[in-house]
Amino acid sequence: MVSQWGIKFAVHLITNHFGKIVAKVCETLLRQGPLTLELLIRFTELSKEHVKNSLLVLIQHNCVQAFICEGGDVDESRVKTQYLVLFDNILHRPRFPKFMEIVLQELDKHCEKVLEGLLRDGRLTLKQMIDRASQGASQENDSAVVADAVRENLCKLLMARYVERCPAAEVTIVEEEIITKKRGAKSDQNFKAPETTIQRVIEAAVPGDAIRFSLTADTGCNSDEETKPADINVAENNEKEQLILWRVNFEEFLRYLRDKLLIENVRARMDDGAATVVRAMLEATRNVDKRVKIENSVPLELDQLFTEVIKTENGLQMTMDRVKAYLVQLGCSSQISFAYTIDLKHIIHLARNEEVESIVLKRYGRDAYRMFRHLSKEKQFCPTDKIAESTLVEKKEAPKLLNRLLKDNYLHMEKLNVSVVGSNKQTQLLMWRVNQPLLWEYVLDEMYHAALNLSLRMAFEQEKDEEILNVPKDKITASEPLQKKYKRLQNVCLLLGSSLLKLDDALMLFHDF
Amino acid sequence: MNRLRESSPQRKRQKVSPSLTNEESILYNLIYSKKDIGIWTGDMKRETNLPVTVFNKTLKELMSKSMIKEVTTIQNKGRKHYMAIEFEPSKEITGGNWYTDGKLDTDFIAALKDVCFKYISKQKVSTLDGFLEWSKKNGIFNSEVTPTQVEDIMKTLVLDDAIVEVTSNGYGDFASIPVGRVCYKCKSNVKVKGELKYGLVPYIPCFACPRISFCSPDGVVSPRTCVYYDKWHVLEVIHI
Ligand code: SF4
Repeated sequence: MVSQWGIKFAVHLITNHFGKIVAKVCETLLRQGPLTLELLIRFTELSKEHVKNSLLVLIQHNCVQAFICEGGDVDESRVKTQYLVLFDNILHRPRFPKFMEIVLQELDKHCEKVLEGLLRDGRLTLKQMIDRASQGASQENDSAVVADAVRENLCKLLMARYVERCPAAEVTIVEEEIITKKRGAKSDQNFKAPETTIQRVIEAAVPGDAIRFSLTADTGCNSDEETKPADINVAENNEKEQLILWRVNFEEFLRYLRDKLLIENVRARMDDGAATVVRAMLEATRNVDKRVKIENSVPLELDQLFTEVIKTENGLQMTMDRVKAYLVQLGCSSQISFAYTIDLKHIIHLARNEEVESIVLKRYGRDAYRMFRHLSKEKQFCPTDKIAESTLVEKKEAPKLLNRLLKDNYLHMEKLNVSVVGSNKQTQLLMWRVNQPLLWEYVLDEMYHAALNLSLRMAFEQEKDEEILNVPKDKITASEPLQKKYKRLQNVCLLLGSSLLKLDDALMLFHDF
Repeated sequence: MNRLRESSPQRKRQKVSPSLTNEESILYNLIYSKKDIGIWTGDMKRETNLPVTVFNKTLKELMSKSMIKEVTTIQNKGRKHYMAIEFEPSKEITGGNWYTDGKLDTDFIAALKDVCFKYISKQKVSTLDGFLEWSKKNGIFNSEVTPTQVEDIMKTLVLDDAIVEVTSNGYGDFASIPVGRVCYKCKSNVKVKGELKYGLVPYIPCFACPRISFCSPDGVVSPRTCVYYDKWHVLEVIHI
């Protein structure tokens, strides 16, 4: 379930990019969950035409996925196509510059160009990409050369998994009860937490890995049912290839950013050596598990890890024993048949804690910060006095600070009635705890709120001083007040822009990783 | 010692009771029954039901006979709190190790923290025993500082995020410390490289704003009408 400010922020982004009508459709889907076209029209009170077009825009930009839910009940409305909004993909939109930067760093500027087109238009066929490139290319360039170059760049992007085949336009999922019934026979051990509709629809829509990143694999391209390779001739194959729709694979970018965060976090907490080991571990298992949210890294044998470590400049001087010692320090002492795995979730949680703690330090001061860190570590209810004692905070001050944290939802408190030893009197103890999952959700919501306000403010600043942006440069330099105004706008935009980027790093940490 | 004192109250009380008036013995017994917790005058009045003048006189008498003493409690320094002479005020009353006259001795704590922190930053890494040995050798503390107190200080430094608790891996800075031993390491020695830095969210405009809960496009304060950007946000953030 997306939080209230999360929805507002997403709607704001869609309004900015596609206008109010599309945003209304998007908001309705965010608030109500998956809906059929009829219901969407009813809830939004928009014309059928408007809703349909909005859905097309949202699908084109990978913000909506259509699906059919086949169920046991014969309810008519259930077998109709429903539309599911993909909140995460909306939030990726302000991250596009980050994604382009990654491709520029990892591949080259030609690939970045192809990626830019895909980000701008949402989904493109190879033919469309070639057309775009030819428009920009100079006349002398042979169109065949351009086509080859685009094809080659797309291949590179596919190899690196930064681009993927579009998912099936519409998928069919089976009613949850039926799945549960089928699962009933299995042992409890194999039971996984039930997936949400969103997860099931997304999973069903993604084509198998073999064709997802393949330019040439001949299949029923945008469909989830795999067809047998047929003996079709090359021309036909080429034609088909040109019609396949491609889009950006956000998952890979997020994984890249997650790995970066993990490595830098370990570097900051431990040292360069530990960061090198983590990096090597992630690099070596890069292609085995491609998901973003994983608890542990894929198990890797020490030999393989070592080979990866010494590939890096920092790792060159490391011995096997040293690598082992780092693994122990990283808490991966438990080996599964000589293979090591790093608890990635733990590092992510540490990073989240650090972020929340820094908020506490800034807002409530050092004493509150110590108490909060103490409670985070304890992971259980602690009485007021005990907290004050362990953190060396004045016992009379402690309740005041704790109450402030409670009021702002940073702590959880419960009252406990205990009888006083040696008398029949009862006294009330206040017990405090940090409820991490709840707190993280709350902080995330605060972040969405701040992101919305920041971006509204940015729009306002630009709008307010719009005329200055149209004044020629020499005129600005000539007049002092104009220059001052211009400088201010520049500063504010720079500050707000960089703040938004930083806030977005934090949003990813709390939502995506 | 304490335990010895506590085990013989009966005898003591019997010894002194004959010289007490009826009121005195009622009041004394009440105070005595509260042991090392003591009792507030308000509670005494309520529980003994003695008229105010009698009560005050009796209390004075007991004081002059050195049978009870006044103690400061951390909970309520203004309130008069009494305890039978043979008890030492409990931790609940005094606040414990770090309290003097019912007040947390912040100067003392700060001084100790400073010494510990400086030592660790100089050594890069140290165990608790290592620090204790050094302080003993150099006569850093007078005998009043116990190993538990030093441990308390180390723990608060960890909570302050000034130092971190790590286990030795036997390499580099840890070379002189057996593998697996818990030690303390300075946080500032760890360089933060790369672009990602933590804890920057709190300084972000809007996120750091105390008015954010009222501020939305249609709220009491709105990002369009906000006046704080020019006043303090921009300044605060740029200064960082
Ligand atoms: S827009 Fe202004 S008032 Fe609103 S949260 Fe941001 S800084 Fe605070």
